[in-house]
Amino acid sequence: MLSRLGLRAAPAALKSLAPSLSVGPFHTGQRCLAPLPPLPEKGGQVRHGLIPEEFFQFLYPKTGVTGPYVLGTGLLFYLLSKEIYIINHETIAGACVVGVLIYIVKKYGGDVAAFADRLNEEKVAKALAVKNDSINHLESIIEQEKKEQWRVEGRNYLFDAKRNNVAMLLETNYRERLLTVYNEVKKRLDYQIAVQQLTRRKEQDHMINWIEKNVIQSITAQQEKESIAKCISDLKMLSKSTRVAV
Amino acid sequence: MAGRRAALKAIDWMAFAERVPPNQRAMFNALKTRNDALSAKLTSLPEKPPAIDWVYYKTAVAKAGMVDEFEKKYNALKVPEPVDTQTGKINAQEQEAAKSAAEYVQASKSRIVQYEKQLEKFRTMIPFDQMTFEDLNKVFPETKLDKEKYPYWPHRPIEDL
Repeated sequence: MLSRLGLRAAPAALKSLAPSLSVGPFHTGQRCLAPLPPLPEKGGQVRHGLIPEEFFQFLYPKTGVTGPYVLGTGLLFYLLSKEIYIINHETIAGACVVGVLIYIVKKYGGDVAAFADRLNEEKVAKALAVKNDSINHLESIIEQEKKEQWRVEGRNYLFDAKRNNVAMLLETNYRERLLTVYNEVKKRLDYQIAVQQLTRRKEQDHMINWIEKNVIQSITAQQEKESIAKCISDLKMLSKSTRVAV
Repeated sequence: MAGRRAALKAIDWMAFAERVPPNQRAMFNALKTRNDALSAKLTSLPEKPPAIDWVYYKTAVAKAGMVDEFEKKYNALKVPEPVDTQTGKINAQEQEAAKSAAEYVQASKSRIVQYEKQLEKFRTMIPFDQMTFEDLNKVFPETKLDKEKYPYWPHRPIEDL
């Protein structure tokens, strides 16, 4: 059976050994541009850490479950009995070394694997963080640019405000001018009236003074004595009446 | 300038304030206070001066034709409106601002397109744990090791490790 395998492999090996610059039956189809499937997470299954599972599956149809074990045992006894493999001190040393190695791997293998995985995880996480930061940063920048565009649209307010200011200034100035005109005219008219009233008052005062002066002058001495005597008699009568009333 | 009744446009100061960027706040506040001062002054002045009572003056003032002359001249007087020199400049400024704003928006849009492109690149990237170094160099060209300049490992100057 092994010989049949050998026979089948021979022509392929001969073909690959033959010198050929052209690639032969390989890579003749169209280049496949689809993304390649991701690498498998786990390696191939092995039994007892050494022998791949495919060997057991390969022998299962002919020999059942125990086939490879029987094969292995028979092979071992053949080698020992025919002294193809000789047991010497190296065998014992080798067996001890192998035992210790198996113990160490069984005990600490998981931790070492976890540590190595963690190193890898950290690298990937760092790269992922960088990528996420870049995405967030870009998004926020885009937001800001849009906001700035929105702000720019508000420039009309500024110019409206400026024009309003100018219009208000002009209006204020015009109103002030009107007011000034009115005030000036009113002041002048009021001044005229005030002057008139002042002269009139002065004339009145002067006239009154002049009349008083003349009247006082015209009171002769005789009239003065008579008026004083009359006043005194009047006063006497008044005082008599008041004394009687009290 | 068309008549003195140039209507004052109502300005929404709240919306205006929203759009002011923070580094121009001071200028905005100055503009607003100036505007408020001007409008206060405007409202404090009467629109038309009070009418002069010519009848009373005619009876009060003694001088013969003075009041009539004053009345005639007063009614004939036309107060000149102040000349508007600034609105033209403001309009010119507005045109310029419109132009520069259009340019800015243009530049901003092209920047946004660039950013969007980069964003697309990041979003359609394959996850890191399925990448080979070739794929990594395609997405981030700066990670490509220059094997011609530095033929020996680690293919970059020691300081950059």
